[in-house]
Amino acid sequence: MRLELGNFYVKDIVFGEETSYSNGILTINKEEALKVVMEDEHITDADLHIVKPGDRVRLVPVKEAIEPRVRVDGGPVFPGVTGDLMQAGNGRTHALKDCSVLVVGKHWGGFQDGLIDMSGEGAKYTYYSQLKNIVLVADTDEEFEKREQQKKNRALRWAGMRLAEYIGSCVKDLEPDELEVFELEPIVKRTKQENDLPSVVLVLQFQSQMEELGYNDLVYGWDTNRMLPTFMHPNEILDGAVISGSFMPSSSKWSTYDIQNFPVIRRLYKEHGKTLNFLGVIASNLNVALDQKERSALLVAQIAKSLGADGAIVAEEGYGNPDADFIACIVALEDAGIKTVGLTPECTGRDGRSQPLVTMDPKADAIVSTGDVSQLIELPPMETVIGELESLARDGFAGGWWGDEVLGPSVREDGSIIMENNSMFCGDQVVGWSTKTVKEF
Amino acid sequence: MKKAILYINQFFGQIGGEEEADFAPEIREGLVGPAIELQKQLGEDIKVTHTIICGDNYMGSNTEEAVNTILGFLEDKEFDIFFAGPAFRAGRYGVACGNIGKAVSEKFNVPVISSMNEENPGVEMFRKDIYIFKGGKSAAAMREDIKKMADFGKKIVKGETLLSAEEEGYFGRGLRRQVWLDPPVTAADRVVDMLLKKLNGEPFKTELPIPPVDTVPIAPPIKDLSKATIAIVTSGGIVPVDNPDRIQSASATRWGKYDISNMERLEAGVFKTIHAGFDPMVANQNPNVIVPLDALRAYEKEGKIGKVHEYFYTTVGTGTTQGEAARMAREIVEHLKEGQVDGVILVST
Repeated sequence: MRLELGNFYVKDIVFGEETSYSNGILTINKEEALKVVMEDEHITDADLHIVKPGDRVRLVPVKEAIEPRVRVDGGPVFPGVTGDLMQAGNGRTHALKDCSVLVVGKHWGGFQDGLIDMSGEGAKYTYYSQLKNIVLVADTDEEFEKREQQKKNRALRWAGMRLAEYIGSCVKDLEPDELEVFELEPIVKRTKQENDLPSVVLVLQFQSQMEELGYNDLVYGWDTNRMLPTFMHPNEILDGAVISGSFMPSSSKWSTYDIQNFPVIRRLYKEHGKTLNFLGVIASNLNVALDQKERSALLVAQIAKSLGADGAIVAEEGYGNPDADFIACIVALEDAGIKTVGLTPECTGRDGRSQPLVTMDPKADAIVSTGDVSQLIELPPMETVIGELESLARDGFAGGWWGDEVLGPSVREDGSIIMENNSMFCGDQVVGWSTKTVKEF
Repeated sequence: MKKAILYINQFFGQIGGEEEADFAPEIREGLVGPAIELQKQLGEDIKVTHTIICGDNYMGSNTEEAVNTILGFLEDKEFDIFFAGPAFRAGRYGVACGNIGKAVSEKFNVPVISSMNEENPGVEMFRKDIYIFKGGKSAAAMREDIKKMADFGKKIVKGETLLSAEEEGYFGRGLRRQVWLDPPVTAADRVVDMLLKKLNGEPFKTELPIPPVDTVPIAPPIKDLSKATIAIVTSGGIVPVDNPDRIQSASATRWGKYDISNMERLEAGVFKTIHAGFDPMVANQNPNVIVPLDALRAYEKEGKIGKVHEYFYTTVGTGTTQGEAARMAREIVEHLKEGQVDGVILVST
């Protein structure tokens, strides 16, 4: 499988006559873009903003981030989701780099939504403060979930993907600034040099805890809750075969942008043929019932073993209950003789003294920690809020609250906030961006 | 100018050796024994105003009295930081430093710094309560150990950034916090590098050490279930629909106690779940799937159990820390004991 990613580096974004890219400047025709957003009759109200690093802007409730892309030979950027099914990971895709489409609720947030500060002390808590962002702020008529803590955010998330495809389409016929090639020979047809290196699989435990369809990550449009672990080519992950869901506290979630760019995959590609033989990705899940957890762990270990893996990296999207799947999977791999390293955030409590994972096992002797979801964060008011600040306290955010005897409400009258890291948008960057770790004090 | 007070034992307080170990606590103005070196290391930023001396045996056999006496000494003193030791490998001295350090830290809310050798039993007993620096085996390490204590004390009072336990050199207090690596190294690089080391048989260091397992022993079975009072406790977030105690939907710190003595079952619309960690649909349609009052009432009628306790107890388990969960459980247990409950069905979700 050979994927060519043509990169266009965006230095600035402006609104203008024609949606186009030239010399690093991305111009967006706002009216036309909003028309694409409004194609779904469930979107009742929509607006676009451009926010850049350093802007005195706070975004909340942030629901999703997507990298604008286009499939050069035609077809949807997200097969089985925004269009027909087709093979992802092969051929040529063009991407607008250093920018993302952010989807923000005009009023209503929920458990899974997050916050982004584009400047100040809060900026360091999320990756998206360093990107130039096209912000879609919209409302919907999805009355059934307006006051629900758990939201599918279907109309908004799909609007974000349509918008990302619309914006991406302006570089379809242009020559990219840079061309990256991702290619792996079939496992049994690799060179001796590759085969002599330690073979490695990457196990991705996608978030799939909701039994009802519509909340979980999708693989080619298929709900990961209904999936058994399966072998995937890393190019498929990088090229839109998987989209993020709408469940799990925001900081430990993987946005679609995160999945499209997956830094751990990129690093494994870099090492391939030099220090290791990158076999590919085992896509697994994080279901709630114990037998489902055990079944997935068994299958992951079996697939890894059958492929001849010597080593594995296991990454979990989330924390808490999924820690059980995470540890079970590491133990199953270690029991199969595969040397395994885990990648996860931890939850040590507001005082930092709680057990960092729900379950632990001495066999999980190699873990990289990407952050602590429960750390308290206090931030001053921000000049401009896009979305609705009150949602952080009102709508059951994982890291926000209406009242607390000691701390008071998450949102104060002067616009300052106090929250848990839990609600920093994709803040724990488990896909590999995180330069955070957790240490004992 | 900030102020400090030092605690030492009878030996280092120049009262005497083992024969003086029953020496009752005293506070002296100024510097005695190790306090002189401590003052030298602290320099001009912090002044050691008093030295407290207490015999190791006195502290060991009259702990409460000794601690109260010393807290009494301190009540009218102004101080910003408290030092104890260093205690090296001296067991009774280490435990004494820990006892007084913990009490001072709790009562006066000032940082407490001590130093002990890793084999000192005081380390495991008190490392969670005060800063205990990794010290030498004997008084030969006095100067070095005091320097570590003083340097860290200066950092604290100056408000400098405090690094992790390992970087600073004290025994970890069981408290984990997120930090940004300097220089920054991404998790993608760290995880692949760690895997390569593990594959190549090179030493590697996990970022999340697995602590020893904290298992609660399984209780002995109830001898005669037909006479037993059974209670339901749940972390599944079932509450009266208006959630009167405002239990949080995630990361809960509150719990509720609700009267079910006149109910045969929990009705939908009267009770619901506020738990944000699972799909609530089924539980909202029938709250008994989490608080199985209907089944227990049936058992009650059949005589399988003696009776159902008058209340059920509830909180939310998602994102809730082990520490908070243990505290809430301790509080709930008091009510269960009062109600003479023999067995609990603990429903998780």
